[in-house]
Amino acid sequence: MNEKIIRWLVLLGLALAVIFTPILLSAQTKMLQVKGSDTMVNLAQILAEEFMAKNPKMPVAVLGGGSGTGITALINGTCDIANSSRDWKAKELDLAFEKGVKPRLFAVAIDGLSIIVNERNPLAQLTMEQVGAIYRGEVKNWKGVGGAEMKISLYGRQSNSGTYTFLMEHVMGNKPYSTDMKEMNGNAQIIEGVLADEAAIGYVGVGYVVDKATGKSLKGLKILTINKTAGATAYSPLDKQAVDTGNYPISRPLWMATNGTPKAVAAALIRFIIGAEGQKIIEREGFYTVGANLQEQNQKNLK
Amino acid sequence: MRLKKMSVLIVLTVLAAGFSAFAQTTTPPPQTFGTTVYFDYTTFVTTDGYLTSNSLTNKFHFRRAYFTYENKISDSLKFRFRFDADNTANITSVDFTNKKTKFDDKLRPFMKHLYLEWSNDFLQSKVNVGMIETLAFKLAEDRWGYRSVAKTLLDGYKDITGVEVDATSADIGVSWKGTLLRQLRFGLAVHNGSAYSHAETDKFKKFSGYLQFVPAAGLNIVGYLDYEKQTDSKKAVTTKVDVLFDMISNLNVSFEWFSYKNETYLNADLKQYKPSGWSIFGTYKIVPDKLALFARYDSYEPNNTKADDEIGLIIAGFDWTPMQATWKLQPNVWIYKYNDARKGDVVLNMTLFMSF
Repeated sequence: MNEKIIRWLVLLGLALAVIFTPILLSAQTKMLQVKGSDTMVNLAQILAEEFMAKNPKMPVAVLGGGSGTGITALINGTCDIANSSRDWKAKELDLAFEKGVKPRLFAVAIDGLSIIVNERNPLAQLTMEQVGAIYRGEVKNWKGVGGAEMKISLYGRQSNSGTYTFLMEHVMGNKPYSTDMKEMNGNAQIIEGVLADEAAIGYVGVGYVVDKATGKSLKGLKILTINKTAGATAYSPLDKQAVDTGNYPISRPLWMATNGTPKAVAAALIRFIIGAEGQKIIEREGFYTVGANLQEQNQKNLK
Repeated sequence: MRLKKMSVLIVLTVLAAGFSAFAQTTTPPPQTFGTTVYFDYTTFVTTDGYLTSNSLTNKFHFRRAYFTYENKISDSLKFRFRFDADNTANITSVDFTNKKTKFDDKLRPFMKHLYLEWSNDFLQSKVNVGMIETLAFKLAEDRWGYRSVAKTLLDGYKDITGVEVDATSADIGVSWKGTLLRQLRFGLAVHNGSAYSHAETDKFKKFSGYLQFVPAAGLNIVGYLDYEKQTDSKKAVTTKVDVLFDMISNLNVSFEWFSYKNETYLNADLKQYKPSGWSIFGTYKIVPDKLALFARYDSYEPNNTKADDEIGLIIAGFDWTPMQATWKLQPNVWIYKYNDARKGDVVLNMTLFMSF
């Protein structure tokens, strides 16, 4: 090696030392990265804040982006916990296997997916089949489902949303959404759309439509009751017992996933969320607590 | 020959039928435009080799500039259009009679991708039609993840050795990738074999395929083969093996080996020769999304009948995201070791990765 090369390598070494030192120091206080479901993002932020208030040396950052985004981030190693409002798809599990990621899933809350309309809409209930037909674009006027003579305005989520996928799989018979549907960025945008549009229908997590003070739906919105089939009893997602028993037909667990057994801050956060304190916060925010079976599974996955 | 033509026609007909059936089930198209640029300041500390033997001692340059339009037509259909430009993108015309290209001194964009992608539940498969990504090194590229710094071994073989191994990252044709089992995936393709910036020049098509075996979570063994007739009596074959190891959190280590045999390749003594090479590379995320290290060793054997033409290449550096993921600094060093009388070369790059 000649002198010129040695000079360059020394310069390179110095540059590396200058850049690496602050990065490595900052890495010692690394934040736990939580990413994914928009339905869960507000809830997860509140849970993280309460967790950090009790554990100031365990910083947590929460981002949305959709269930698909969170799952991809966990597979690519760019987040520590992936939030999702749907089950993992087979192709995501396959990709995780390919990349050596071993997802551990924790059910942290139960959501009654709420079908909402503007409060001026006279309709009060729909069947599962009618909700599916509306979102598939097969019924385009409220009159077709017993409502007023009015063209239906569809509000929904983008395809990276877990709620978008959940509704398609569980209500729409895996058939595609109508091309007329307005694809909104998040639950809040759907609510804004429905509040402003008398002919609107939308779907959001129950925690977004409940007025925390009254326990009823937000002013200007109406939450439809849903029955499994025509003639059966219709239930509201605000009815905890109906959600718990499965009588409300479009309820779902909300998941947090880690790569392998959670450790350190991730384990502490999940223990906090599935524990009594976390579940109390979940209920306060309008979602529902996790039942005994799922809790048992959670405890197994923590080990 | 007639059988091959028939099979290509049947595949295209089935695809056309599939696309027309799925094209009717559309949702509003989320359309995106994206730009990705690899910008470098390069210093040739020494200049002995194929790439470095010129009067340049340093330069600013664009290693790559992509402009991509994507349209998610429906949950199962996606369209991509990508322009690309780089330092070699100054072709202005192709003389088919004399099989030569004419150059000028300006950087020009060229079409890199222009394809429709149909995803479906059958074997979780994806079918691409148009100017598609080939199957040759996509998996290795994904694991290496630093195309902004260097192409993987087979992809960049010609750049390092000057030997044409007929490997391209995109081409005009059809591909089909899918999952047979969680432990077994596959890819098949038929394309022109002329590469993305060239029109087809002969009647022969390139057939390629891979099998990806995943015996354990994070361990992938991939066997790849492609075949194309060069003349009525001579053929070219690429054989490639990748072993991808992702079993330790934040660390991936991969191995790539290939051999290329082209029956039209002859030495001055009219003996056949085969270019080949192997590479081992790894990346380690120190702080995910912030800081990663990468390193690689390539061994090139441009001509198996010559004893002193091997090249060894070490590439190492780090990937630093100071603020947002839209831009990254990736300083890196390339150290060449030649097997002949030439001294080793050292090249330093300050790579700026930008993606918006």
